[in-house]
Amino acid sequence: MRTKRKPLASRVADAIGLAYVGAVYVFLLLPIAVIVLMSLNAGEFLTFPPQGISLRWFGALFANEAFMRAIGTSLQVAAIATVCSTVIGVAGALYVVRHATRLREGLRMLLMLPLMLPEILTAIALLFFLYASGVGTRTMFGLLVGHVLVTLPYVFTNVASSLYNQDGSLEQAARSLGASPWRAFVRVTLPLIKPGIITGALFAFVISFDLFNMSLLLKGIGMTTLPLQLFDYLRWDFDPTAAAVSTVSIVVTLVAVVWVDRTVGLRSLRFG
Amino acid sequence: MSAVMTAEAPPHSSARRKARPGRGAFWLIAPALVLIGVFLVLPYLNIIAMSLRPTAVGAPYGAGFTLGNYAHALGDGYILGVLADTLLLGATTVPICLLLGYPVAYHLARTRSRWGSLLYVLVLSPLLVGVVVRSFGWLILLSGNGVINRVLIDLGLVETGLQLMNNRLGVTVALVHVFLPFMILPLVGVIQSIDPTLEQAARSLGASRLKVFWRLVLPMSWPGIQAGTILVFVLTLSAYVTPVMLGGAQVKTMSVLVVQNLIDNFQWPAGAAQALVLSACGMVAVWVYARLTGRFMKGLQ
Repeated sequence: MRTKRKPLASRVADAIGLAYVGAVYVFLLLPIAVIVLMSLNAGEFLTFPPQGISLRWFGALFANEAFMRAIGTSLQVAAIATVCSTVIGVAGALYVVRHATRLREGLRMLLMLPLMLPEILTAIALLFFLYASGVGTRTMFGLLVGHVLVTLPYVFTNVASSLYNQDGSLEQAARSLGASPWRAFVRVTLPLIKPGIITGALFAFVISFDLFNMSLLLKGIGMTTLPLQLFDYLRWDFDPTAAAVSTVSIVVTLVAVVWVDRTVGLRSLRFG
Repeated sequence: MSAVMTAEAPPHSSARRKARPGRGAFWLIAPALVLIGVFLVLPYLNIIAMSLRPTAVGAPYGAGFTLGNYAHALGDGYILGVLADTLLLGATTVPICLLLGYPVAYHLARTRSRWGSLLYVLVLSPLLVGVVVRSFGWLILLSGNGVINRVLIDLGLVETGLQLMNNRLGVTVALVHVFLPFMILPLVGVIQSIDPTLEQAARSLGASRLKVFWRLVLPMSWPGIQAGTILVFVLTLSAYVTPVMLGGAQVKTMSVLVVQNLIDNFQWPAGAAQALVLSACGMVAVWVYARLTGRFMKGLQ
């Protein structure tokens, strides 16, 4: 629009601002980039600069039974928790946006509560409660409940915001033309809020996959998840296998994020 | 078609079938209410009860009730020191996150670059990569023989490696990294909702950039600043992994102390009381902050 060149002082200020912002982006990326770099290190140790490129530490990872079992457990827990929190979260969002009247704000706050309370305190409270109620941590039940609690707000808030953005009278129109409530929901509302559901579910999965505090306190006896296994490993060993397993978890996340961005766009994401 | 347009009173729909808002759909919210009621509200009531139990030998807690755990938590110099350290860690992490995060949030909210989406992923990425992995990244960077020390030595800037971790510095750097997205994301939302034409109008009326920022953008983005600072503060107080991994034995936070009490020492009532004291301190701090900033916000209007 503007044809006039900006004054020099203004351009200098722009450049400084941009450099500052760029430095923060580098700061954000640095530890993640360094892990990926180290996982490709051909040397024995986590040394810098890397001594050549090799995939040997990924080989070491696949031969490490404890890590492979932990990855399996994490994938399993994340998958189950995602399905549960998606079903509960979508239903809850439908009620809060479409049906709740006076209670809407209160219910919204209630469903966001797990996000606002410190995760570690919730984990401790849940641990005590599981023992007090006799359930204990012999099974995966407590761990799953903890993961569903933490991931529920992400599903709820994403689905609720896509419901707000979408005209409720479309479903009523379908109903008035004779569709059953279920049919109207599946054929009209569901396709419209699909982006919110996909984003919510994917973030639920990624967050559950990486959840630490809940897992630390609620894991079943003899059970371990990937973040816990990595944490334990780093206490005694400090070798590129840890970098390789971290890279695997980074890649899982990256694939999920890029997929969401391609299908529904990341900017539809809502926090709180 | 007219039936579709006047959806509030569809003439052809049978009155019996009409969707009634409210009671009929209650089953939709029921699972969420059961989950949160049974597995969040009840456990929180239970943890308060637990904090009032006496300690016992050979069992997690004894019979009866006592205020002894609170008296111990609030009377013990060591625990109070850890509590003060934890609060201080929050009080240093928050302003750093704000100073680093605000320009990024503004840039992200206003950029029309085709890389915008990529930058958004960049801001999100630390949030989505687990906290253990991110702290491990800082471990590689900050350790005695780590990347940063190597580079500094190779450049001849230092003789021997600097002590960058197992102290407050390392913990703070990693905490800032871990929680920065929680500062940036609420800010992006708020700044996006500020109409850019307002800024252009102020500029065209002769206001300097600094003045536009100070008198217009900053006050209008205040809700985002408040949300971000509170979020980061609360998250920092309850951080566990990062202080353990980067603080070593030198930096002990309340969360570390509490988990130690629960898992290693098996002292549930003491751990519960300490966790609740920390949460109460956090809530008081947030309340005071919200009051003060609330007054400040009124003053701006």
